[in-house]
Amino acid sequence: MLGQILYALPFLAEGFALTLWVSLLVVVLSLIAGVLMGVGLVYGPVPLRWAVRIFSDTIRGIPILVLIFFVYYGLPAVGVHLQSFWAAVLALTLFKTAQVVEYLRGAVASIPKGQSEAAMAIGLTFRQRLAYVIFPQAFRRFLPPWINGVTDAVKGSALVSLLGITDLMQAINQVIGRTYEAMPLYIFGALVYFAVNYALSLASRRLERRFSFIRE
Amino acid sequence: MSANANAALLDVRDVSKAFGAVEVLRAVSLEVKRGEVVSVIGPSGSGKTTLLRCVNFLESYDSGSIRIDGREVGYREAATRQRRSERDLAAMRAETGMVFQSFNLFPHLTAAGNIMLGLRKVRGKSDAEARQIAEHWLGRVGLAHKADSLPAELSGGQQQRVGIARAVAMEPKILLLDEITSALDPELVGEVLEVVRRLAEDGMTMLMVTHEMAFARDASSRIVFMADGSVSAAGPPAEILGAEIENERLRNFLARFRASHF
Repeated sequence: MLGQILYALPFLAEGFALTLWVSLLVVVLSLIAGVLMGVGLVYGPVPLRWAVRIFSDTIRGIPILVLIFFVYYGLPAVGVHLQSFWAAVLALTLFKTAQVVEYLRGAVASIPKGQSEAAMAIGLTFRQRLAYVIFPQAFRRFLPPWINGVTDAVKGSALVSLLGITDLMQAINQVIGRTYEAMPLYIFGALVYFAVNYALSLASRRLERRFSFIRE
Repeated sequence: MSANANAALLDVRDVSKAFGAVEVLRAVSLEVKRGEVVSVIGPSGSGKTTLLRCVNFLESYDSGSIRIDGREVGYREAATRQRRSERDLAAMRAETGMVFQSFNLFPHLTAAGNIMLGLRKVRGKSDAEARQIAEHWLGRVGLAHKADSLPAELSGGQQQRVGIARAVAMEPKILLLDEITSALDPELVGEVLEVVRRLAEDGMTMLMVTHEMAFARDASSRIVFMADGSVSAAGPPAEILGAEIENERLRNFLARFRASHF
């Protein structure tokens, strides 16, 4: 049994690498898109606020699985053909972006108005106010839910196996198909996912301590 | 220096503002000359704070004109009411210092860091230069030993003194003080007012909203009494806070004030 896992290890490792690659892409892309859209939601002109609000509410109201199938099987109907890998990344990124938008909005909204005013009063421009006053403070509030979301992204990446992409989940299923050793392999898979996410949550706790400059 | 040294540094002309149906400012006019300290007093809801916030355009106004050193503050021209660009507004605001009732120090920066931010990012000073200026001003407000403390580690009075240092370190043309002692415990008020008194002696031009009548009387060149969004009386302290007051609203206000403070 252990021998079979060992034998399949290089194959499983490849799947694991793909899992990490998808997760990383989704986390980074959704962070960039989510922060930009979140700023648009909080500070943008009304039409932009509406657009982001509608995007976020719509995406968050759709099961992620439906979103993945929609992007992969639905978009070709309007002429958009994506490889299964990029379809999966796009769907997961959309989903994650909508969450990042909400984390950012909540974090920025928690900063008292007086902070912006004090920053204005010394003559900082809008971008400087965000960069030096608002974001450094909002970061502390943004971090815990966001790291939580990162672990969700790692777990959620297992859904790409449904498009036939050989991530860790799919690799495990294939090894099981060959060996019929379901239990040990699923336990192995669970342990790998757990190890990644546990490491992330440890890192997050350390980060949160690092940025706890305000006693509450 | 502007062409005419006698011209008002701050010139507020017929400024009106409404929040919905409520008129908070009704054709308010006042002048502050270079080196003058002008106190604005009046009952709460009289528009004092709103007026102060219009001077550095934290608040926009519906009509009228506010000029600092001859330049219109929030709009390119008073007549067209075309708002200045973000960059322009920031540059204008850098010329006015403001101290807030609730301090509004940046909690993630040290006392020195609070003062250095504007010096570095707005005035373009180097880190070392900014630090030197910050230490100079912290010394002036008696907090040289607190340069590396976070706001959360300071008392209210200390925080407000850092707030004042942050504002004056930018060398503003005029300093706006918005009820800066109202959020302080009574025993901490003195140390903050002492700092303001010394700034006044050094010739800093100030416009302050205050409830500290004794301080306003001692430190002001002129006092403006506001009621219901307009200037009801204005003049030298002896006249406004003197024994014989003709203005009935001012008389009532001072009577109520004295009754609640003795």
